[in-house]
Amino acid sequence: MTTTELDLRPRVPATEPVMSLRGITKRFGAVRALSRVDLDVYPGEVVALVGDNGAGKSTLVKILAGVHQQDDGTITFENAVVSITDPAAARELGISSVFQDLALCDNLDVVANLFLGHEVTTGGVIDEEEMERRSWELLRQLSARIPSVRTHVAALSGGQRQSVAIARALVGEPKVVVLDEPTAALGVAQTAEVLNLIERLRERGHGVVFVSHNLADVQAVADRVVVLRLGRNNGTFNTRDISYEDIIAAITGATDHGASRNPFTEEPA
Amino acid sequence: MLADLRRTGSPRPGSGARPGYDVNVPEPRRPTGNQAALREANRSRIIDAVKHHGALTQVELAGTTGLSPATVSNIVKELSTSGVLHTAPSTRSGRRAQRVTLAHQLGLTVGIHVSTRHMHVALADTRYTVVTEHRMPLARHHRADSELDKAALLIADMIESVDADREEILGVGIAVAAPVDHGTGMIARRGLMRGWDGIPIAESMAQRVGCPTYVDNSSNLAALAELRLGAARGRSDVVVLELSDGIGAGIVTGGRVLAGQHGTAGELGHVVVDPHGPVCRCGNRGCLEAVAGIDAVLDVVNSGRSRAVNFTDLVVAALTGDDESIRAIADAGRAVGRAVAGLANVLDPQRVVVGGEFARAGELLVGPIRHAFEAGLLRDVGALPELVQTELGGRAPVLGALALAIDALDIQDLVIHDE
Repeated sequence: MTTTELDLRPRVPATEPVMSLRGITKRFGAVRALSRVDLDVYPGEVVALVGDNGAGKSTLVKILAGVHQQDDGTITFENAVVSITDPAAARELGISSVFQDLALCDNLDVVANLFLGHEVTTGGVIDEEEMERRSWELLRQLSARIPSVRTHVAALSGGQRQSVAIARALVGEPKVVVLDEPTAALGVAQTAEVLNLIERLRERGHGVVFVSHNLADVQAVADRVVVLRLGRNNGTFNTRDISYEDIIAAITGATDHGASRNPFTEEPA
Repeated sequence: MLADLRRTGSPRPGSGARPGYDVNVPEPRRPTGNQAALREANRSRIIDAVKHHGALTQVELAGTTGLSPATVSNIVKELSTSGVLHTAPSTRSGRRAQRVTLAHQLGLTVGIHVSTRHMHVALADTRYTVVTEHRMPLARHHRADSELDKAALLIADMIESVDADREEILGVGIAVAAPVDHGTGMIARRGLMRGWDGIPIAESMAQRVGCPTYVDNSSNLAALAELRLGAARGRSDVVVLELSDGIGAGIVTGGRVLAGQHGTAGELGHVVVDPHGPVCRCGNRGCLEAVAGIDAVLDVVNSGRSRAVNFTDLVVAALTGDDESIRAIADAGRAVGRAVAGLANVLDPQRVVVGGEFARAGELLVGPIRHAFEAGLLRDVGALPELVQTELGGRAPVLGALALAIDALDIQDLVIHDE
C-alpha cells in the first residue's frame, strides 16, 4: 500500500473516549447479569469484548443497542450523559449494532437492505440511482467483495452477508459500531474478509466494539481487550502487551483483575 | 493484449502501477477522448474487476464496472479469444450465465507470505499473473499449526472461487519473516518467530495441500521478486531491504540471491547499531531491528501515552505534520541508512531497494535513509548506488514465494500440460 491510499482525515490519537460506560448494572429478576461494568471506546479503536458464556457480553451489547436499559450506572456519549431508551435512540446517538443473526431481508437486494427504513427520496419518489451509487461507494470504502448490489441477499455467501450487514450499520455514519460475533460460523476466507473490514472501520475512525469467542481473531484486530467474567470486569489489556494465555486466564478466572469482590458485602441484588 | 498482460508481471489490481521490464517505466499515459482509449479503459476495468472478485458472471461484471451488458459481453468475448479471460457456462438465480475468470493455462501456483501480523495468500499462474489473493490479519504470536491450517483452508476456498481444481495446483511457496535453514527446512534460529520454531514448515504444509511446497525467508524472496519483476530487474548486484516489524535484507550478488551457510545471510536487522540500546528479540542488545523496526518505533512513540497508536496512525500523524511522529520515523530511517551504508561498502551493489511495510511511510522514511546512507558511503558522489523504493508494494514477498514455487517446477511437465 502506498501513502496515497491512506485516509488522511484527522482521527488519531484521540485522547477522549467517544463512549464511556460507568458502573453499568443489569438484573433480570434474581439474576444479576451485569454488576458495575465499565467500558471505554475511543474513536478509531477496536475494543474486543471477551468472556465465557453467561459473562454478560450480550447483555452489555444489548444495552448499547437500546434493547435493554441498565438498572444502574451511566452511559456518556461524546461528553454528555445519555439514556438509550430504545434501538431508535441508539441509532440516533450514533451507535450502530450488527447482531449475530444479521437481520437482513433475504428477499431484497443489497441496495434495498442497506437503505431499508431510510430510503433516499427525491420529491417523494425513491431515488434508486442515488441509493445504488451510495451503496457502491460504501462497499468500495470497505473493500467488500460484493459482485453486484442488485443481487438478492439470499444468494450471497456468509462473509458477503456479514459485509452487507456491516455496511448497513454505516449508512447513518455512526460513531460507534458494535459487532456481535461477526466471525462466528464463517469460513476462513470469509473470516479474513470480515477482519479486513474491521480494520477498515478502524481506519475510517469509527470506535468498534467487537464481541468474539475466537481469541485468534481478537488478537489479530483488537487494540484493547476487555474481559468480562460473571457479569463483572476482569481486566482491560492492550493487545500489544498480552498473550493468548493471559486472556484465557482472565476469562476463566485463573487470574483476578478485580472481578471477584465478595458478592455478599457488595450492593444487594 | 495477452503478451502485454504477461510481460507486466502482476500489477497491483486497480493501482495502475505496472512493474515492467524497464525499471523506470512511467505511468502509461492514458489518451483521452477517443473511441479506442475508451475501449482500452473499459478493458482494464473489466480485468481489474475480475481480479478483485476472482470470478464473476457477465451480469455481475456489468453491475460492478457500470458498463452496459453489451459492452461487457463484447469485451469479454474479445479478451477470452486473446486468452486473457476464461469463460464457463454457469447459472445465476436460476438463469444461464457466463462465469468469467482470468485464464490460467499451465496450472496454478500458490504464494504465501507470513509476516509478524499478516498472512497474504496469492494464487497465480506460472507467469506471475495473480488470479486471486487474500490478506488477513494475524494475532501477535501466531503459531505454525493453526496458521498453516488456515492457509490450507484459504487455498481450498480460493481454488474454488476461480473454478479450478485441486489437481491444477503445481506447487506452493512460503515466505516467512525469519531466516530458514535450507538443510532442515526449519527456522534457522530459535526465538525469532516463536510459534514456528522447530517445525519443518514446507513438509508440514505439503501434507496439508498435497503438492510440493518450498519455504524461504521473506527478505530473500522479496529480493527474488524484485529481481524478476520489480526494481532490481536486469541488475546483478542489489540489496533489497525489507523494513517491517523485523528488518531483513535480501542480498543479490552476481544475479543470485545469497543464502549463506545456514540461510541467515542478509539478517541486517541483527547488526548491532547501539551497544546500549534496547534488548532485541534475538537476545542481543541494540540490534538495528530493536531500534528501527516498526514495533520498536511504536514502543518509543507509545511510551508515556495512555492510548497506543498503531503503525497506520503513526504514518497518518506524520503525514499531517505531527513533529513527534515525523521524528520517530526519521530516527529509524537514519539508523537504517547508516547500517545499509556499511552493507553497501562491503557489497558494492548497483541499487538498494527499500520495501516492506515500513516503506508505506514513503519519503518520510526514505529521505532520512538516503541522507544517512549517502553520508556513510565510501564511494565518490556520481558513482553512488541508487536508493529506490520497491515497485511491488507490499506484494514483493508473496510474489517471491510464487517465484520460488515456479522455479522448482519441472518444465517438461508444463509442456505436457500446455498441449
